[in-house]
Amino acid sequence: MIDHVTRGLGMLFVVALAIAVGTVADPAAAQTKLKVGILHVGSINDAGYNQAHAEGAQVMKKNVSEVELIEVENVPEGADAERVMENMIKQGARLIIPASFGYLEPALRVAQRYPDVKFVHPGGYKRVPNLTTYWASTPEAFYLMGIAAGKTTKTNKLGYVVALPISFFLANVNAFELGARSVNPKAETRVVFTGTFLDPGKEATAANALLEQGVDVLGVIVDSPITVVQAGEKRGAYSVGYHYVGVQKFAPKGWVSGVAFTWGNLYTRFARQVLDGTWKSENILGGLGDDYLTIAPFGPAVPEEAVKLVNATRQEFVGGKRQVFQGPIRDNKGVERVKSGEAFPLGDLRKMDWLVEGVIGQPK
Amino acid sequence: MPLIGESSGPRLARGGERLHAFGRSIGPFALGLAVFAIVLLAFGKNPLRAYVDIFTSTLGSWYGLSETLVKMIPLVLAAVAVAVPSKIWLINVGGEGQLYVGALFATWGALTLGHWPAFVVLPVMAALGVLGGGVWAALPGILRARGWVSETISTLLLNYVAILLVNFVVFGPWKDPEGVNYPQTAEFTAAATLPALGTSRVHLGLAFAAAAVLLFGFVVARTRWGLEMRAIGGNPEAARRMGLPIGRYVVLLMFIGGGLAGLAGMSEVSAVQGRLRPSVSPGYGYTGFLISWMAGGRPVAIVAAAFLLAMIAAGGDILQMTQSLPASVVNILMAVILFVVLGRRGDAR
Amino acid sequence: MIALKSLLSGAILSGTPLLYATLAELIAERAGIVNLGLEGVMLVGAVTAFVAMVVTGSAALGVVAGALAGAAFNAIFAFLVITRRANQLAAGLALLFCGVGLSALVGSRYVGSRIAGLPEVPIPLLSTLPGVGPAMFHHDALVYAVVPLAIATWWGLFRTRWGLALRAVGENQTAAFAAGRNPHALQYQALVVAGLLGGIAGADLSLGLAKTWAEWMTSGRGFIAVALVIFSRWHPLRAIAGALLFGGAISLEIELQAMGVPISPFLLDMLPYVLSLVVLAAWGGARRHAAPASLGRVFQRTG
Repeated sequence: MIDHVTRGLGMLFVVALAIAVGTVADPAAAQTKLKVGILHVGSINDAGYNQAHAEGAQVMKKNVSEVELIEVENVPEGADAERVMENMIKQGARLIIPASFGYLEPALRVAQRYPDVKFVHPGGYKRVPNLTTYWASTPEAFYLMGIAAGKTTKTNKLGYVVALPISFFLANVNAFELGARSVNPKAETRVVFTGTFLDPGKEATAANALLEQGVDVLGVIVDSPITVVQAGEKRGAYSVGYHYVGVQKFAPKGWVSGVAFTWGNLYTRFARQVLDGTWKSENILGGLGDDYLTIAPFGPAVPEEAVKLVNATRQEFVGGKRQVFQGPIRDNKGVERVKSGEAFPLGDLRKMDWLVEGVIGQPK
Repeated sequence: MPLIGESSGPRLARGGERLHAFGRSIGPFALGLAVFAIVLLAFGKNPLRAYVDIFTSTLGSWYGLSETLVKMIPLVLAAVAVAVPSKIWLINVGGEGQLYVGALFATWGALTLGHWPAFVVLPVMAALGVLGGGVWAALPGILRARGWVSETISTLLLNYVAILLVNFVVFGPWKDPEGVNYPQTAEFTAAATLPALGTSRVHLGLAFAAAAVLLFGFVVARTRWGLEMRAIGGNPEAARRMGLPIGRYVVLLMFIGGGLAGLAGMSEVSAVQGRLRPSVSPGYGYTGFLISWMAGGRPVAIVAAAFLLAMIAAGGDILQMTQSLPASVVNILMAVILFVVLGRRGDAR
Repeated sequence: MIALKSLLSGAILSGTPLLYATLAELIAERAGIVNLGLEGVMLVGAVTAFVAMVVTGSAALGVVAGALAGAAFNAIFAFLVITRRANQLAAGLALLFCGVGLSALVGSRYVGSRIAGLPEVPIPLLSTLPGVGPAMFHHDALVYAVVPLAIATWWGLFRTRWGLALRAVGENQTAAFAAGRNPHALQYQALVVAGLLGGIAGADLSLGLAKTWAEWMTSGRGFIAVALVIFSRWHPLRAIAGALLFGGAISLEIELQAMGVPISPFLLDMLPYVLSLVVLAAWGGARRHAAPASLGRVFQRTG
């Protein structure tokens, strides 16, 4: 068998080489079309992070007729991502959307090898001349969720299932608790980290652990909210979604609302800029006032006054009349983090590695 | 002078033999490709297009070839890691864990000595990688030499512990202080990064892999130690009576095997990933076991089998792009080829 | 009190698929066969159950489909290692790869589908017990069935002639053959049963625990089951405790987080494996091993 493997492989190699040589190498795509490559770390039907990006890409395709989309799902972060991006570029892609936080390093490396190809990375924190980073700052939206949750809860115990204690996620949970407290001083939020962005088994266990503790509003920050939202609905609890607008169907009775990204218009703008040559690398940090961050529709369980308050507060945020993290704020160990009269700037969220008073959990 | 009748007999027999040998070589692959093609057809995809895509993306360009090589490096090392102990019938399923611990040790080197010049840091990291993986395998070796626990079980159990260890440091003490609290270490300095060859991603780890295979082949075939190993492997009782230090070989060969896997870990974090993350390896240790087994522990065949599997693994991405198939579908192809090979072997070794 | 309740409920929820998988592997190993590809069997079972439920809307059908798919998949493995006498470890790993790829392929069209999952059935009276009631007696059918099944496995292995024959095959195939058993037939039967149980384990994950499907959603639970078999030293009743412990470790970790205790969950998770190794070494040192003697023909003690 040993010889056979070697020999068999040798023959295979020769055949393969013949096929490869005989196959016409892919010529550069005609320049009128814009090939856009998008990589997803999960499935585009996850009703979460990936679906939000995928639908954004579809909107872009619809709005910009010259766009041809190359879409790949379930690409692991790291070396494989680099290879996928290279393959896309070889197929003629001129705009790449590596849609996962962990694709940043691979994207930067590929970007430096292909200065003419443009990259747009969600959530990144490093740039090069042909790579833009973009995100929508979400704490304000989570504050609004907190208001809704604070008014809907019956046990005053709120919970969050979060993938990792990344500073952005901590900021979201903090904002949520602050919002809840502002309408319900007894509200407390328990947060549990699953350690990974997607593991339905662990998410279900985490959700159940929180529900066992009396939590009746479950929030979720993982790639796909399906598991947690369903777990909540099953036990008659309320849920707050994330990433995608259409999660309500998984919790028709208990749905509160959700923070959702609607990337379509932003991606459309990117595509148009690449086409007419005005694209340049920038760091885009949007917020509630932008068209790529929305609040999902409210569910039937949310009281009318809460909806009114949410809308009013939303206007205050958009108009700049209110800051999410305005002091005084203490963390859950009693240390003062924001002094009275000051506010924690949203641009510095990277540095937030603590949880506010009222949040029960470890930002290890 | 041979009569006509006499000479045509053997010639015909030789021809038949060659055909048979040809069939046996290409058989598993052909069968594997055929079954996979049927699976693809069942899901409404075009198998011919799929195969062309796989070949062109992995072999049809220098880039593709270099990517296949990059994937080959840890596979070859992991396979030799299994092959070395297998010479005396030790079963090392712990390649994954040994790889992780090697990566762990090497990372410590990178984080502590990163400011030193490359010609200091890199050899130290390599040595640490070997040490880490080696120790992780030597422990099961000792347990086996004493007759307490089968190395199959112990190496398997230690895989989990190793992965958890890496998770622990990456989520805790070694987490990047500059990052956003994401579970990974700081990025390695340039000095601590294994250099790549030219503009491709093929890195110095290739030299490690090549050296490992060559040395392995050389030692087993041409040295006294190789002779002793083969003696022990051939007839352990007789070897023991002859006074060969079996226990010592058990521990030593496990250490070497683990060390090679650890070296694979070091090269992955240093050259390919640039830092330590919770997921260092997508199962290279287990794939290495399969490669070593498929190749019967022979060096040249290991390289061939590693190349084949690397090609298939690298080819998965293109299937996603052109056929909208999930990339992990190539696992089916790999598995079917293995099934056929498994199904042909008459013995249980 | 809340913490204990939550821990118990969590251990039961996480431990159930683990226990099914462990029983599957245990039966196979008692017959002398190691199946490293159990994870693949679970994945095949999980995706089949999920798709069956999406298509038919019936959870019962989903579980049955998952079990049968697991058995059929494991039959491939059985054929390879029993009839073709292939290397068990290699065959198992090949099965793993196949399962991962096949389940991804089949499941790709159904990601994001919504199912009702296995319905929870509160046991009358018992589920109203204060404290432990809801934690222990408000679950779905698969959870209720697993412990009785474990006991049935124990009884089957240790109190019936079939089980005796099976264990004999696992200890010494030649002797068993000489005593009039048919080793191959018994091993096939063991692997089919193992396949059924492995498929159910997967079905429990996709229909019971998570109620969804994602690629490789077993996340290593199949491998954990292999370790669990070792940890419980090939005994079904100890496996119950083991599964609760391992399952509890996952929820203990979450519990501790919720309580704010700063122990690293990873260090905690290591304990079961380290303990297994220590226990085995201690037993091995006492010249009495618990593994079936001709397990895979790879656990030989020639050292």
